[in-house]
Amino acid sequence: MKKPTLTEACQKFPLTCDGAMGTQLIERGMKIGECGMCWNAEHPEDIVAVHQAYRDAGCRLITTNSFGGTRSMLGRHGLGGKVAAWNRLAARLAAKAAGPEGWVIGDVGPFGDFLEPMGDTTVEELEEIFREQIAALVDGGADAILVETMSDPGELSAGIRAAIAATDLPVIGTYTFQKSAGEFRTMMGTSVADAIQAAFDAGASIAGANCGTDLSLDDYLELGKQIVAAAKGRPTILQPNAGAPKMRDGEIFYDATPEDMADLACKLRTIGISIVGGCCGTTPQHLAAMAEASRLIE
Amino acid sequence: MSTFFELSRAVEGGKRNDAKQITQSLLDQGIKPLEVVEQGLVPGMSAIGEKFKNNEVFVPEMLIAARAMKECMAILEPLLADAGIKPKFTAVIGTVQGDLHDIGKNLVAMMLKGANFGIVDLGTNVPPEKFVAAVQEHNAQLVCLSALLTTTMPAMRTTVQAVRDAGLTSVKVLVGGAPVTQDFCDEIGADGFSQDAASAVDLALRLAETY
Repeated sequence: MKKPTLTEACQKFPLTCDGAMGTQLIERGMKIGECGMCWNAEHPEDIVAVHQAYRDAGCRLITTNSFGGTRSMLGRHGLGGKVAAWNRLAARLAAKAAGPEGWVIGDVGPFGDFLEPMGDTTVEELEEIFREQIAALVDGGADAILVETMSDPGELSAGIRAAIAATDLPVIGTYTFQKSAGEFRTMMGTSVADAIQAAFDAGASIAGANCGTDLSLDDYLELGKQIVAAAKGRPTILQPNAGAPKMRDGEIFYDATPEDMADLACKLRTIGISIVGGCCGTTPQHLAAMAEASRLIE
Repeated sequence: MSTFFELSRAVEGGKRNDAKQITQSLLDQGIKPLEVVEQGLVPGMSAIGEKFKNNEVFVPEMLIAARAMKECMAILEPLLADAGIKPKFTAVIGTVQGDLHDIGKNLVAMMLKGANFGIVDLGTNVPPEKFVAAVQEHNAQLVCLSALLTTTMPAMRTTVQAVRDAGLTSVKVLVGGAPVTQDFCDEIGADGFSQDAASAVDLALRLAETY
């Protein structure tokens, strides 16, 4: 039987996306500041192992290790020429773990600067930057494209349009929100309603949020409600951090336990979030508890 | 006749072509470049910063205003240099070692420039010794450290330590970035933390005065 598309599947039953990649690689010896994408080529076995740990935890969406995979971001490491090869590789590595029941989510992060008139980059230039990365992710076997951690709806929309130009696969768009004066807004000041609307207007199949600045678990629940309201029946996604970062003895850590995250995942399902996953501070243990909680609801 | 008020309004509104034109027109009227900076550009940036702090405007409006200011400064800077006028305070700024994110750092740099600080921008992934060398070379009163990632925040501690170990005891160290808090600032012995780029200017001015 042919696997349903992600958009079809997520409207039929709750799906769990995976969690943090960067911190898992740091645990495996990646140095702070090292190019995370280089690990696809230099330590493919570690990348597959992290993907596999999330897959074993019950995550059916496996996100490629390609957050900084645009020409503009790889260029900061002097590696702008590696876009095609490394994004293709990132998708292939995720596909190894995703298996026939999983979806490879081709990950696209911010390009690292601003669009005109805030910055110097034109929409056309930005769409080309994204298109190059997305084409390689598709070539490597992505089942969907995720344009994530966005602050500017203009940038997110450029990513969505670039994906649609490159492929017929479903496209997911997520923003990162912070709370300013009691309201959720992106760094660029965009409200949840406007941000989500912009994502669907640009052609996203699924929209929502990931990460976030200093948001508590209660904040994520409230954010989830606003996303569902803004989506007006269309599929949604939320990938929270393991709570807000805390400091003890000068060390930064995220203190939400797998049980805390399972409880949040349950609540997010109940309010109608279609796909739940994790971001900063989450581990395969967190995602296992979250996937299990979601299964119980189903 | 153009006025300082018109220049402030043009900068605040991010109307860069107007701002450049008014700057030129003020200079043509014989007004000294430093006055154009202090009475035209600085109040404009300060006004947009104030609105930002009050959540009336957001990052895009600040960026567009800062761009207008920057283009005016491009006209004024050579004239200031010819007249031997240097900014009263100098700040060294950079994103700490291991961190390649520069949006927050750039915003703070622009806002400080808009308050007429001399800015030495070291870019991203800056090792502690490079901060120290730049402070010494430029006789800076302030050094501003940025980090976006929780994993790179420890580099702020080592940088503060390096500044102190170099005997630069009176240099004020400011820290900022999404995961940074006042507690963390206190913990690592930095002199100040601010929540956003506009508040960073107030803090920088206050700390620079006590240098």
